[in-house]
Amino acid sequence: MEATVETAVDMGSELALPEIPTHWTNARPIGHSRGPVADADLRAGPSAGQWLLYGGNYENYRLSPLETLNPATAPTLQVAWAFPTGTSGQFEVSPVVYDGIMYASSSYNRLFALDARTGELYWRYDHALPGDLRLCCGPMNRGVGIHGDTVLMATLDAHLLALNRLSGEILWDAEIADYQAGFSATSAPFILKNMAIIGIAGGEYGVRGFFDAYDVATGKRLWRHYTVPAAGEPGVETWAGTSYENSGAPAWTSGAYDAESDTLFWTTGNPSPDWNGDDRAGDNLYSNSLLALDPQTGERKWHFQFTPHDVWDYDGNTQVFLVDIEHEGQPVKAIVQANRNGFFYILDRNTGAFLRATPYVEQLNWASIDATGRPVVNPSAVPLEEPEFRVCPGNMGGMNGAWSGALDPELGLAFIPAIESCQHLQKGISVYADGQPFLGGTPLITDAEEDTAYGHISAIDVATGEVRWRYRDHDPLGAGTLAAVGGIVISGTQDGHAIALNSATGELLWKFRVGGGVRSQPIAFELDGTAYVAIGAGNWTSMAAYQGGTTNIPEGGNLFVFKLPAGS
Amino acid sequence: MRLAAIALFALAIISALGACSKPPASERFLQDPQALKRGKGLFIGTCGAYCHSTRKDNRDAPYLFDCEWRHGGSDTEIFNTISTGVSNTRMVGFAGKLPDGEDDIWKIVAFLRASREPCG
Repeated sequence: MEATVETAVDMGSELALPEIPTHWTNARPIGHSRGPVADADLRAGPSAGQWLLYGGNYENYRLSPLETLNPATAPTLQVAWAFPTGTSGQFEVSPVVYDGIMYASSSYNRLFALDARTGELYWRYDHALPGDLRLCCGPMNRGVGIHGDTVLMATLDAHLLALNRLSGEILWDAEIADYQAGFSATSAPFILKNMAIIGIAGGEYGVRGFFDAYDVATGKRLWRHYTVPAAGEPGVETWAGTSYENSGAPAWTSGAYDAESDTLFWTTGNPSPDWNGDDRAGDNLYSNSLLALDPQTGERKWHFQFTPHDVWDYDGNTQVFLVDIEHEGQPVKAIVQANRNGFFYILDRNTGAFLRATPYVEQLNWASIDATGRPVVNPSAVPLEEPEFRVCPGNMGGMNGAWSGALDPELGLAFIPAIESCQHLQKGISVYADGQPFLGGTPLITDAEEDTAYGHISAIDVATGEVRWRYRDHDPLGAGTLAAVGGIVISGTQDGHAIALNSATGELLWKFRVGGGVRSQPIAFELDGTAYVAIGAGNWTSMAAYQGGTTNIPEGGNLFVFKLPAGS
Repeated sequence: MRLAAIALFALAIISALGACSKPPASERFLQDPQALKRGKGLFIGTCGAYCHSTRKDNRDAPYLFDCEWRHGGSDTEIFNTISTGVSNTRMVGFAGKLPDGEDDIWKIVAFLRASREPCG
């Protein structure tokens, strides 16, 4: 590898330290000559040898086709290799595997290309980040997108980078937005046709949310979809006064795509300020919403708002699944979501019609849902200056957009990791200024402090919302799940274990101590007839404490790759 | 001319001393329940959540109600930290950003001091 330095170094000093490389490119032939990633590869979803999309497929199932990963073999998973990130903070990656190469990004935007069999490092890029980032919730990155011979990563300083997948050289660098105004980007770019679609974070800074589509070949922005209307646009009447100008509704997670109707689905987060809605009376469209869009133009077809006039920070942007179900005796092309507000929603994905919402958490007291899908808010759950009511779920969920569930359509089950950590919500004074936190209040982390917070993975019937089984953990759970058609679910815990469960029953099949708290999105692949499972370990103590998880494990990312022994 | 210069210099010294000895505005706000309430509201609404913890815990959200200050614990030092921020951290400067300007920052300082645990 060839190392280069991209950060400025004072060479005038006699005692200047050796320059620290930030970019190691590769000139060797690597991979197996698979050639560029084609649209057909992306549409096919995970195959034995590759995992290309954050959600696995465009329907977001995170489902491996490997039958060899099953209840009988899961207890035999053994370490194939491991790789350190050298960074602290949440290691939330969902790796991409293509052509025998694994692409894994870490906190603070390091990107590694590794031999997927052995962990040998092919190339590495450490993005030089400014010291004054506006990050509410940690330095995470959830992975890359891949298309053609290009790997794409979004950055904490709100850029989108394209790198050659074989050499690691930077092809282009597009600024999405000004990070000093409160913008950042943490999600894996969503690759669709020739586009890399990326949304921004910043709901805690009062940014006006949006997501963009960029031409993968050139970095040119093709369209931008603002999640909140401007003056004179439909929906602006749902914001009192000029509150739409500092509105939030960020778009910091990834989307889904329905090829049959050529519809892109994207979701949005909380309105700003989070815990004081006094100055933004109204429903605050299109915060906390599911948006259906034309992917060529970014124009909205329809929307469904989960939590109108949110004062709980219930971002509506957990992962959505596209699944065909039977509802009241009729086949329905549905879109389902375990929302951060504690309800599991089932909608018609062709129309946005509400079909059903049921609690998937064990503690839910902020609202019930009426026949139209609109919450009927419990008045006691509204933030107060001196709060006395313990609100469930807390502001982190439930499920949270920082991790992803899995879905097995044969079983009709979604596997949803969740937090049970209720809070008192204290209201304060909202003051907007560019680049400053715009919160309006604060959660008092009641259950976390009283050590009564916990978590679970729930198997949810996607047609009814019924919980079929739960796997409980003493910590809130914040790692993604991976399902394999062989009948297992892989995930991890905040006390530092990778786990495998029986998809049908929730029985614990395998548990391995990976050290760091697990906050990543596991994947699986097969090379030379051997099945592998990749899962990252490494937590951010601050967020673990906020949720009520284990906090005494040192930070530091490590990527673990497990394999089944020969003959499995 | 020389005498005038000396007189001006002496006046400047006296003024400076006077300025130094002038109590910070937080002293005045400590006695004003409405000012303390506003300081609390601003703190809760702008400085809480992921930035500053309101109770001692393991979070990367400094707790400001004990006697451990990394950047100086006098009212004036706290005022300066709030005003200018702390480089290479998530703490950004609030000078000129709050509706009532410096008064709002002093009210936050007064709230922090009024809510502080006993030291020593």
